[in-house]
Amino acid sequence: MDEFRFNTPREKGKIDSLAADILKNVRINASFLLWMGFLFTLLAACLFAYTIQLRKGLGVTGLRDFTSWGMYIANFVFFVATSLCGMLISSVLGLIGYRWVKPISRIAEIIAIAFAAVAGLVIISDMGRPDRLPYVFMFGRVQSPILWDVTVVTTYFVLSMLLWFFPMVPDLAIAKDRLEGRPKFLVKAYEILSVRWMHHEKQYHLLGQAVRILLILIIPTAFAIHTVTSWLFAVTPRTGWDSTIFGPYFISGAFVSGTAAVIIAMYFFRVNYRLEKYLNTETFEKMGRVMVLVAIVYFYFNLNEFLVPGYKLKTGDAIHLRELFTGHYAALFWGIQLFGLIIPAILLLFKQIRRPLPMMVISLFVLVGSWFKRFIIVVPPQGHPNLPIQNVPVEWVVYKPTLIETAVTVASIVLVLIIITILSKLFPVIPIWEMAEEENGKDKISE
Amino acid sequence: MRFFTVLILSLLLVPSMAQDPDWVVPEDRKGRLSTFPFTDETRKEGERLYQVNCHSCHGDPGRNNYIALQPPPGDPATEKIQNNSDGEIFHKVTTGRGPMPSFRSVLTTEEIWKVVSYIRSFNRNYVQKVMQVITSSAYPGAVISMKLAWDDAAKLVSVIATATGETGSVPVTGAGVRLMAGRYFGMMQVDEEKVTDNSGTALFATPEGLPGDTAGNIRFSAQFTDEQTFGSVSKDTVLRAGVVTVPVSLTAKRAMWNTVRKAPVWVILAYGLGVLAVWGFILLVMLKLRDIFTVGTALQERLQASGNETTTNN
Repeated sequence: MDEFRFNTPREKGKIDSLAADILKNVRINASFLLWMGFLFTLLAACLFAYTIQLRKGLGVTGLRDFTSWGMYIANFVFFVATSLCGMLISSVLGLIGYRWVKPISRIAEIIAIAFAAVAGLVIISDMGRPDRLPYVFMFGRVQSPILWDVTVVTTYFVLSMLLWFFPMVPDLAIAKDRLEGRPKFLVKAYEILSVRWMHHEKQYHLLGQAVRILLILIIPTAFAIHTVTSWLFAVTPRTGWDSTIFGPYFISGAFVSGTAAVIIAMYFFRVNYRLEKYLNTETFEKMGRVMVLVAIVYFYFNLNEFLVPGYKLKTGDAIHLRELFTGHYAALFWGIQLFGLIIPAILLLFKQIRRPLPMMVISLFVLVGSWFKRFIIVVPPQGHPNLPIQNVPVEWVVYKPTLIETAVTVASIVLVLIIITILSKLFPVIPIWEMAEEENGKDKISE
Repeated sequence: MRFFTVLILSLLLVPSMAQDPDWVVPEDRKGRLSTFPFTDETRKEGERLYQVNCHSCHGDPGRNNYIALQPPPGDPATEKIQNNSDGEIFHKVTTGRGPMPSFRSVLTTEEIWKVVSYIRSFNRNYVQKVMQVITSSAYPGAVISMKLAWDDAAKLVSVIATATGETGSVPVTGAGVRLMAGRYFGMMQVDEEKVTDNSGTALFATPEGLPGDTAGNIRFSAQFTDEQTFGSVSKDTVLRAGVVTVPVSLTAKRAMWNTVRKAPVWVILAYGLGVLAVWGFILLVMLKLRDIFTVGTALQERLQASGNETTTNN
């Protein structure tokens, strides 16, 4: 099979027009530098807050004896959750054979990479002595979900990187000759990363094999990463965490926040990169349907998680659920359930709503709701220790995140934005060769 | 309306009663005295018992490092506690109140007196009054004592109570006796309460397979149930009445809570094989990348060769 793809003048023309559209965004321009300058300034300010924490210890946060897992861990769970979108879009929907996910699969992978990479760092920010991180590996216990978590987060990050990189290799080969006026290092990087890609069928065959392995491999890994994250909570007997459905509950919630993040990113790239042709209303329409589906599944798990203990009302559950339903966290709890889940799902049932702008606004609500949902999962159960404790200061009982803690959390979000910006600005966000194949009616990679 | 007023008032009263700052010990208990004199030996044993049972709340005597509870446990070396009579301390340790637990079923009478002996060692002005003879209304003028023995064939513990007077010894008959066996946490009652027969003997059947220590020893403590009539005598004796038990450490076997070296095999296998499998596939994928590179290099060389050929031909 000694043949090359994209060899006919018609196919070459197609690639040319696609590359022109998609590669025009691959450049370092003033707005990119301005945006990165803003992000790095913000990051520097937030990292200054972290140096204070590093110097003085976790006492500068709101974490105390009762609530020892606060905003950091809630943020970590949110990051891991959102990173699962890569698996959902590329693997689950891709392997089923939905072709409309092709233009957005790389965006999903970029989001997955950014959130998975920073999730690991967020854990370190929750450590009072980060210099002891190597101890996890030196003295780690294979029985501990924390070790499993470190393992699967790392593995998922590597798989996401590979799943972003592999399908991009033909694009890098296409792009490397079309980078006039771009910085030399970028051209050199494209040259190296395109691993002598010649668009030969043999190479496409090998690439297809590699990508198929990755697509299948990432499904159990993604399930593992978020199930293990849920086990960090569910393997304890603490009321509110002591649940057998925490694994699927977390995963279904991850699909909701991941889908929301992808929709927001899609809208951003559609408008800013002028990619209306590829990220078209039809793709948004389909993503709206996906959102309704995952929201209903998540609602179902919420119903199980709160209705079943709420019906039995064991002593601990009664105290915990009263806090959520009518107590201190009631406004947050009902706000999240209504504005972050139920109302978005109902609105997206209407075709008129499943258009780019309304969907982006709804997804923002869902994403912010998802963050606070993790807060609700992590923090309130710790307010009521199982053993009675007397005479504790009030700040131990009521957890209030401090400014420093908030700044460090903002730093992690800024880091995610930096990674997304770099990956989407220095490399094409829409798969060029796959779109060309799509127009040819061929689909070699998933055949 | 009146019903609710009464209800609320009584509800308000309950906690205020519970927090009564004065812990009043019944008059007849205040004067109770130890049956043995406090010595260095009793003080040392008392210190050991104090460290195990009292230290976590009351702290080190004399250092005021008791934990913050309401009401405060207090330091045993302070006047507040030392002003109690021996009988009052004994009663408070025995019965407990509020957050202070009762040690009735944890320590024997003798052991509680040993704790009192330790507490008193922090009071220089203390002069002990010892109960000279244990007297009873049933046997006036006589010293009452108990003896415990183990009958291995019948698996019975016998308690023999004797009253020794000026005219000689007679068995104490018709006295209710309770027998306790020392367990890991506190004391366990053995058999039911028995009444001494005409020979002053009460027989207690031990549960089958009652675990003892590594030598099969069990610490027993016998006591009259009716102290008013028969005196406050109690007897602690170690008997070889139990099954030899060599304790196995909870961390001896493979378990989830153990160190990594003693992790359950299935966890090691599941984790190890899972990681190996996934990273094996990642390696496989990287090898595909190498193959892509190799194929590309070969193609480039061929193209260059054919390009050169074309040039030469021209």
